[in-house]
Amino acid sequence: MSGPGAVAVTTPAPGRATALVPATVAMGRRALLSIVRQPATWVPGLVFPLLIAAVNAASLSRTVDLPGFPPVDSFLQFLLPATLIQGVLFGGIVGGADIALDIQDGFFDRLMSSPVARPAILLGRLGGAMVLGVVQALFFIGVFTLFGARVEGGPVAVAVLVVVAVLLAVSIGGFAAGIGLRTGSQEAVQNFFPLVFVLLFISSAFFPTALMTGWFQWVAERNPLSWMMNAARDLVISDLAFDDVVRAVGIACGFAVVTVSFAAMQLRRRVRMP
Amino acid sequence: MSLPIQAAGLRRSFGDLVAVDGVDLEVREGEIFGFLGPNGAGKSTTVRMLTTLLRPTGGWARVAGHDVVTDADLVRRSIGVALQDAAIDPLMTGNELLRLQATLHGIGRIEAKRRGAELLERVGLTAAGDRRVGGYSGGMRRRLDLALSLVHAPAVLFLDEPTTGLDPMSRIALWEEVRSLNAENGTTVLLTTQYLEEADQLAGRIAIIDRGRIVSEGTPQTLKAQVGAPTLVLRVDAGHRDEARAVLSGRFGTERPAPTPEAIAVGLDGGAGAVADVVRVLDELGAELEAMELHEPSLDDVFAEATGRRLEGAEEATTDGDDEGGTEPAAEGRRGRRRRGGTS
Ligand SMILES: Nc1ncnc2c1ncn2[C@@H]1O[C@H](COP(=O)(O)OP(=O)(O)OP(=O)(O)O)[C@@H](O)[C@H]1O
Ligand SMILES: [Mg+2]
Repeated sequence: MSGPGAVAVTTPAPGRATALVPATVAMGRRALLSIVRQPATWVPGLVFPLLIAAVNAASLSRTVDLPGFPPVDSFLQFLLPATLIQGVLFGGIVGGADIALDIQDGFFDRLMSSPVARPAILLGRLGGAMVLGVVQALFFIGVFTLFGARVEGGPVAVAVLVVVAVLLAVSIGGFAAGIGLRTGSQEAVQNFFPLVFVLLFISSAFFPTALMTGWFQWVAERNPLSWMMNAARDLVISDLAFDDVVRAVGIACGFAVVTVSFAAMQLRRRVRMP
Repeated sequence: MSLPIQAAGLRRSFGDLVAVDGVDLEVREGEIFGFLGPNGAGKSTTVRMLTTLLRPTGGWARVAGHDVVTDADLVRRSIGVALQDAAIDPLMTGNELLRLQATLHGIGRIEAKRRGAELLERVGLTAAGDRRVGGYSGGMRRRLDLALSLVHAPAVLFLDEPTTGLDPMSRIALWEEVRSLNAENGTTVLLTTQYLEEADQLAGRIAIIDRGRIVSEGTPQTLKAQVGAPTLVLRVDAGHRDEARAVLSGRFGTERPAPTPEAIAVGLDGGAGAVADVVRVLDELGAELEAMELHEPSLDDVFAEATGRRLEGAEEATTDGDDEGGTEPAAEGRRGRRRRGGTS
């Protein structure tokens, strides 16, 4: 392949796509570097949910005594899953925006003119999002524990919450990557952010649906994020139950399957020779 | 043995705009082939088709013996690409990028590390290897880009305007690099440029492209020889100008487009040796010689001969409607580089 004097390089046999696993690991490393080296993109995702939790806990703490409120230790305990999920949803946007930026500034062409296995482009980003999800989950659970909000289900419930956080990171990451791949515009990805925010606030994240009224209650009860929220909350506020674990992980898996399929579809579209 | 790069009737249109309009190419093993043309001529579009980034709308091309559409993955294995406007991730270091690129080409970890160090050394970036690319100068980025394109020791290398925006020193350093690469490894290089000097200096053969078509092709020497005689440009006092113009073009060769209305330009059929005779004739006419210059034929003359326009300086003169460059939206995003909108 190379002329005289060229350094022998071990390239794989022609006709085979470059191995998916090393390429995914390499792309995942890059995604992580991008996260670690741009703290401005995810630190707010750690701080703001905590602020919102603090404000809500201060203003709504008495509501736990209302009839119909779930049996919780404290309002803070009630808020733990909401804060965790909110943080993960915020952080997951970053990877999608980075994919769009790659398309915008031509780094994507560099990838496209190499034989890299195409799925690695998406899988690497999702891998980065998963790691961030683990860190966020441990961070939020840690901070809430410090302030006295316990996870009643114990270490197993904590582990399940981390798994749920990772699945949700993949879900939102898949959604954002799909938008990024579709539009090739970082702005477009960021413009979807308020939608996530609205979905979150019209859910049972900060208040039980049983105590809501009118259309708000109607929407909140049908908002998939409420289902996720309730399932995660049961892990926090009640003793460990197999049903609760299956429900929480199942719902999160459902989200992930839907959005990752969407992203995979958009990737296939994007890598077709234009 | 098939040619490293071969194309016939290669075409690409974007809607009504025909960016590349039937290009035939034959690049031979181990040569540096220059693709010379003004802004918007279709250089990048051609390169993007040859590097499997863009689907031709007509004709065909084979690179390293593989069809660029049906065997795109085989082509990608054989080529190194440094695109005109592909950014380098500013958050990563030179070393990290080289290792990533190596992995993308299926090179193992240890080999990738060794190869990365060797290439950094080669392009003189060893000291900067662990610094983030965001802090590199333009010249350093181009050199890193070149190193990245070489990670898998490609048989065919595509360089799209590798020195645009570089200062003369960096430009010459990059030329040196391309030359030695070609000489030592026998790498076939297709290089696009807007600079006549660059094509002249580097390329063994040149194709001049204008408005999507190749208007002239050959070695720099043969292309210049086609234009033929050197051009004598001179100025005489206004009173004798018309007379001198008529006599000189009648006796020494054909009149050529002059740089200013006051100047007289004549293609000297007798070559540089005829200059003494010109001076004597002007003396006989009583004309006062104010200035005189002899221009050896240049690629610009070749371009002018083929298209009726001048190449250099044509950038500002919006030859083809202002559909390029300056109309792009302002730079955005953290990388500070920009390119055409990425929407499909
Ligand atoms: N993706 C695209 N969509 C629409 N038009 C395009 C696209 N890419 C290129 N063109 C048009 O095709 C023509 C050729 O462009 P190309 O980029 O190939 O020129 P070039 O020779 O590389 O110019 P430059 O020296 O400025 O890089 C231009 O008129 C350009 O506007
Ligand atoms: Mg170009």
